[in-house]
Amino acid sequence: MTPSAAPSLTVAPVFDLERVLGSIDSMAAQRPVAAQVVAEANSDRASAKELSRLLGADVALAGRVMKLANSAFYGMRGRVTSLQFAVTVVGFGTVRTMATVALTDLDDESLLPEDFWEVCTTLALAASTLAPRFAERPQDALCLGLLAQMGVALLHHNDPAGYAELWSTHRSAVARRTAEVQRYGISALRLTSVALEQWGFPAGMLVPLTQVDDDASFSGALLRSAFEVTGRLTDGDHAETAIERVSCGQLRERDVAPVLAQVRTDAEELRAALLG
Amino acid sequence: MSARAQAVSGPPVTLEIVAAVFHGVAVSDAVAVLVVEQRDGVPRVGWSNEQVATLLGYGPEDLRAVAVEQLLPTLGGGELKLLLRRERTVHMTLPVRCASGALLECVVAAVPVPPPAGRRWTLRVTSTATEAERALRATADAHERRFATLTERSPVPTLLSEQGMRLAHVNDAFCALVGRQAEQLLGTGWLDAVHPDDLETVVEQAITVLEGGDREAQARLVRQDGSERSTVIRFAHVFTPGAGAGFIGTIEDITDRLAFEARLAHQANHDPLTGLPNRTLLSEHVAARFRPGAGGLACIFLDLDNFKVVNDSLGHTVGDALLVEVADRLRATVRPGDLVARFGGDEFVVVCQQVSEDGAVALAERIGEALHRPLTLAGVELHPRASVGVTVQTAEHAAAEELIRDCDIAMYQAKAGGKGRVTVLDAEARAQARDKLRLVADLREAIGRREITLMYQPIFSTADGSAVAVESLARWQHPERGAIPPGTFVPLAEESGLVSALGLLVLDETCRQLAEWDRRLGDRAPQRANVNVSALQLDVNLPGHVRSALQRHGLPARRLSIEITESALMTDPATARAVLLDLRELGVQVSIDDFGTGYSSLAYLRRLPVDCLKVDRSFVAELADGHAEITSAVIALARSLGLSTVAEGVETQEQADELARLGATYLQGFSLAAPLSGADAAAWFAGTRTATPTDTPDLELT
Repeated sequence: MTPSAAPSLTVAPVFDLERVLGSIDSMAAQRPVAAQVVAEANSDRASAKELSRLLGADVALAGRVMKLANSAFYGMRGRVTSLQFAVTVVGFGTVRTMATVALTDLDDESLLPEDFWEVCTTLALAASTLAPRFAERPQDALCLGLLAQMGVALLHHNDPAGYAELWSTHRSAVARRTAEVQRYGISALRLTSVALEQWGFPAGMLVPLTQVDDDASFSGALLRSAFEVTGRLTDGDHAETAIERVSCGQLRERDVAPVLAQVRTDAEELRAALLG
Repeated sequence: MSARAQAVSGPPVTLEIVAAVFHGVAVSDAVAVLVVEQRDGVPRVGWSNEQVATLLGYGPEDLRAVAVEQLLPTLGGGELKLLLRRERTVHMTLPVRCASGALLECVVAAVPVPPPAGRRWTLRVTSTATEAERALRATADAHERRFATLTERSPVPTLLSEQGMRLAHVNDAFCALVGRQAEQLLGTGWLDAVHPDDLETVVEQAITVLEGGDREAQARLVRQDGSERSTVIRFAHVFTPGAGAGFIGTIEDITDRLAFEARLAHQANHDPLTGLPNRTLLSEHVAARFRPGAGGLACIFLDLDNFKVVNDSLGHTVGDALLVEVADRLRATVRPGDLVARFGGDEFVVVCQQVSEDGAVALAERIGEALHRPLTLAGVELHPRASVGVTVQTAEHAAAEELIRDCDIAMYQAKAGGKGRVTVLDAEARAQARDKLRLVADLREAIGRREITLMYQPIFSTADGSAVAVESLARWQHPERGAIPPGTFVPLAEESGLVSALGLLVLDETCRQLAEWDRRLGDRAPQRANVNVSALQLDVNLPGHVRSALQRHGLPARRLSIEITESALMTDPATARAVLLDLRELGVQVSIDDFGTGYSSLAYLRRLPVDCLKVDRSFVAELADGHAEITSAVIALARSLGLSTVAEGVETQEQADELARLGATYLQGFSLAAPLSGADAAAWFAGTRTATPTDTPDLELT
């Protein structure tokens, strides 16, 4: 990490981090099917048949996967009639992401900061759209983008009032992360990576989360660029950073304009598909 | 650190067991293990096993009291709490600093060792990847890059699906094909480039492929500028372990090929001069709309009157210009949806749907009026007219071609009625036409089976009354209709293209009969046979056919005389003269049949290589009325040109006498000898070749 970009850690946190971390353990027990799906999807031997079999035990989650597969987002126009095909269409990574969303109550907007999902879907679509420019797979980037903010939900669950204030006070991603470290001893992104690692997500998916604040890190460049695009789209007061800098030179400003338009169009659709 | 049994919760364990386990861990070559303790509020390494030295390069003493934060540099700033939890084991993948200072990516598992909680942990450290795994990953990455490069540079437009219809990648060739940027096409954006009418097919095929297998779909792609390209999209299923199913789509642009095929198809089905559909397309068009028993389908057949005059007098270029003008006028006159086709030459057909007979006739009349408007070509004002036949489908029409044939017949009726007319084919005319068609079919069959027989009428010399020759006369005994007169079936053969086959049959059979007579009668056999040739047979092939027939039956050419009508000779005098010269060269005699009934130029007659004139029976008949002028003149003309004469239709002794007196060379008539079958003629020639007439010593009337 580049010290200058890292959150200030000099101030002692005012929140018991152990409590937050402990909640990660208890979530899997509350949604065992979702936890099983996450575990199975992370396996090298994952198959659509087995995943769909597991999903079948959680009607709500299975319904969401079916709905997402049939959404305009995947262009399937209501033709996906079996759960197994739905798993194939949306991809194992997305199934895993949806199960993780269910595991962490991310699908309940009442337990989340205002405009949380707008930011989430925008971030996910921005990451997915930009992924080919960083030689990443769009579907992986979409999942990373969707889950990156999971730490926000965890912090919010444990400290609803405090985190809501932090969320509304600090609009920029960098400022918000600094405030999170000050209050909780850990940033939401870092917390996401801890939770995902604990639930067996592949290490490759976690690297961008840990390196997003290091402007010199290419591994964090995609997520960093996606945050910049998200800021421009969702935050009216966003102070723009040169895209060349955050993307390690992978993007130029002229590349961003069509991405902004496309992401703006698709974000709401994806949110509706994911949350119903 | 000391190993104590109390440190382990659960049932008591002896110190020996603890020592054994501890020793096992200490010398393990599988996992690097460190024990971390809180000292002065800072987690430090208290102990490490031998594998730590192997993996990280530290000796057991090197690490003693080293702060863990130094070993795990990414967990600075208090993040060690994430790893060193009080109540649970935590696994993290993170870089570990080696003795050399290098960072090694490892999985670190921190297990809290109570009690008390939060004071001591064991860390198991394993490298994330072996050398073999790293090499495999590098190879896979290289494959991926090669594939990406190949796809990127490929001139074949290519799509790579991410999940479902969502594209992860399009290459430059595809972007160029649809004239859009990659950013517009990724995700589901590419579906916007598929023509709305073809989208369903494309999505359907792609979905099938996502479930496995290969498919292809023909689809139009819409470019950014709105233009369209016709393509074949070939989808192939791809499966990524751990991710799911997608597809690779390769696109073939078939726009130019389809356009070329369409041009070829158009050329095959359209007349190049007028651009109108040709006869082939006409047939397909009518067949596609013809429903037996239904009505409302009408055909209007037009034939330009006197088109040959225009062609002959003003030239073919002007003739072509007239046809183009007629085509334009037809197109402008018919109703929307009607088909105008060029049937051939100066013939056109209009096909109308949902029209009554009155409506069809009204349209035909409008067409006639439109055509008759004057136009000037090559400085000459023309007023084109057409004979028009109209047929509306009835219950009697069993097939589409009958409709076209009937309007053709109606057109001929119109032309026969005086040109420039519109005629509707009535039931009687249709019945007659069909009857004629059946007769043509029967005639074709009769010729094929050699059921056309020949009769032979003797021809007598006036010099000695001997029978010197025969004329072959074709006869057709129809199995149901009885004898069909030559005056019926010969014109029928000429109209239906059967005259050549009929002529060859007569020629061959005559030669065969002559040869047979020679074998049976020797020198009493007829010395010559006269064979009639139609005007349509009078072409450059005739001498060859004659030569073949003679050779086939071993006859000399002098045994044959070819009879050609005067009108046939005058149809195309130049060709006729060339053919006659060839026949004469061959040694065959040539006679002009029915002389005096046509309009021969006497000057031309002198130049024609003929041997004999046949005086028409109508002139011979006039002898009985005391009018011998024409017969006398013909005989005199022949004599002065050095030609012989045959007087036909001799019915009475007086005629025979008079003709002999006038100097006719030969006589032929029913009263002298009726036509005989081949066998009867053989008997006749074997018995009586000459007679003793009353006044004319050499002839006897029978």
